[in-house]
Amino acid sequence: MISIEGLKKSFGEVEVLKGIDLSVKEKEVVVIIGPSGSGKSTLLRCMNYLEEPTAGTVAVDGIVLDGEANINKVREEVGMVFQRFNLFPHMTVLANIMLAPMKVRHIEKAEAEKTAQELLAHVGLEGKATAYPPQLSGGQQQRVAIARALAMKPKVMLFDEPTSALDPEMVGEVLDVMRRLAEDGMTMVIVTHEMGFAREVGDRILFVDDGRILEQGAPADVFEHPREERTRIFLSKVL
Amino acid sequence: MNFNLDLMISSFPLLLLGAGITIKITVLSVALGMVIGLFVGIARISNIRIFRAASAVYIDFFRGTPLLVQIFLVYFALPVVTGQRVDPFVAAIGACGINSGAYVAEIFRAGIQSIDEGQMEAGRSLGMTWGQTMRYIIVPQAFKRVIPPLGNEFIALLKDSSLVSVIGFEELTRRGQLIIAKTYGSLEIWISVAIIYLVMTLTISRFVAYLERRFRADDKH
Repeated sequence: MISIEGLKKSFGEVEVLKGIDLSVKEKEVVVIIGPSGSGKSTLLRCMNYLEEPTAGTVAVDGIVLDGEANINKVREEVGMVFQRFNLFPHMTVLANIMLAPMKVRHIEKAEAEKTAQELLAHVGLEGKATAYPPQLSGGQQQRVAIARALAMKPKVMLFDEPTSALDPEMVGEVLDVMRRLAEDGMTMVIVTHEMGFAREVGDRILFVDDGRILEQGAPADVFEHPREERTRIFLSKVL
Repeated sequence: MNFNLDLMISSFPLLLLGAGITIKITVLSVALGMVIGLFVGIARISNIRIFRAASAVYIDFFRGTPLLVQIFLVYFALPVVTGQRVDPFVAAIGACGINSGAYVAEIFRAGIQSIDEGQMEAGRSLGMTWGQTMRYIIVPQAFKRVIPPLGNEFIALLKDSSLVSVIGFEELTRRGQLIIAKTYGSLEIWISVAIIYLVMTLTISRFVAYLERRFRADDKH
């Protein structure tokens, strides 16, 4: 589904990604962990071209991302959930979810609304259709953001630290939605600091450090028997 | 000192006619300026280099030269080039609107840049184009934020429209001059003119304050 080869990314003089090779299979849930500044968010943002790679290729569903030419097509298939939600504050919850399906996929308003209502119910927010994002709690906003991304019926969902900006008591409700999504067979790439969740939901764990994938494997292997010293040190701090 | 209240009262209807024309010039110039300003402001931050350069030149030129000179350029200099007389009304609206467009462009640019980058990223991530995201996400939010500076620009333009009196256009200031030419009532007439301008600018600033309150309430919901 996603295939990355020799990916490098520099911001000015600083090389954040130093050569990443990665492929994500259909229905696979890949969780990226690692210290702050290791490049894991940048890696995720390269997957829908929010960051332009300095070198190497990123392909989604067989299409190599190469800038404006095909970028919107690919992004239709790749949902993204941000740390800070990024809901559109001037629109109702319903309008937030309906906008892209109507403008990008040219779906009729009535049908877009029906889908939006179903998705809201799916994330447990059926009563909030006419609310505005600033009226909602962080957890509710993030669930709307997930519904908004799902409304495009994407093939892949990317999550960039989706619970890092939430109060602790709201983390669970967002992780629940993500867990169900994984159970429904969505292909997902998740950057998170929630180690318990990573272990439970991930099919594969990637430990990223200093711009490289240092170690990867099944959750039990990475968490129980890390091969690399850096992984051991990181896990001992966060577990 | 001899203050002639009767002159003030009797000339008032004529001055009000001039004020009507001032309002007409201002409203049309603001409308023109907003359209120009929106496009030039967006061009200023576009990814396309030629757009950025052209809008920078536009803004620099029209903010960097006096409106009075711009009015002369349109009314007196342009006909030399084209060989055609420019209607004073067209010249007035054209010069004021083009001038205002440069200021409004900077207002919109700042407003757009004040919107969190995550909004553009969210729109683009959903597959929307840059233009769609601007239109549906960024500009509507930026618009609310720029209402106060746009109000200031509206007021400034209303006052600056007095400059078109130099091309013989009979707006409020010019009416005042014409009445004084006949009656020699400088004191009474200029006081009347000032009061009428003041009433108009205060009305605008109250209206802008009302809009600002309404949109702020809107944000809280």
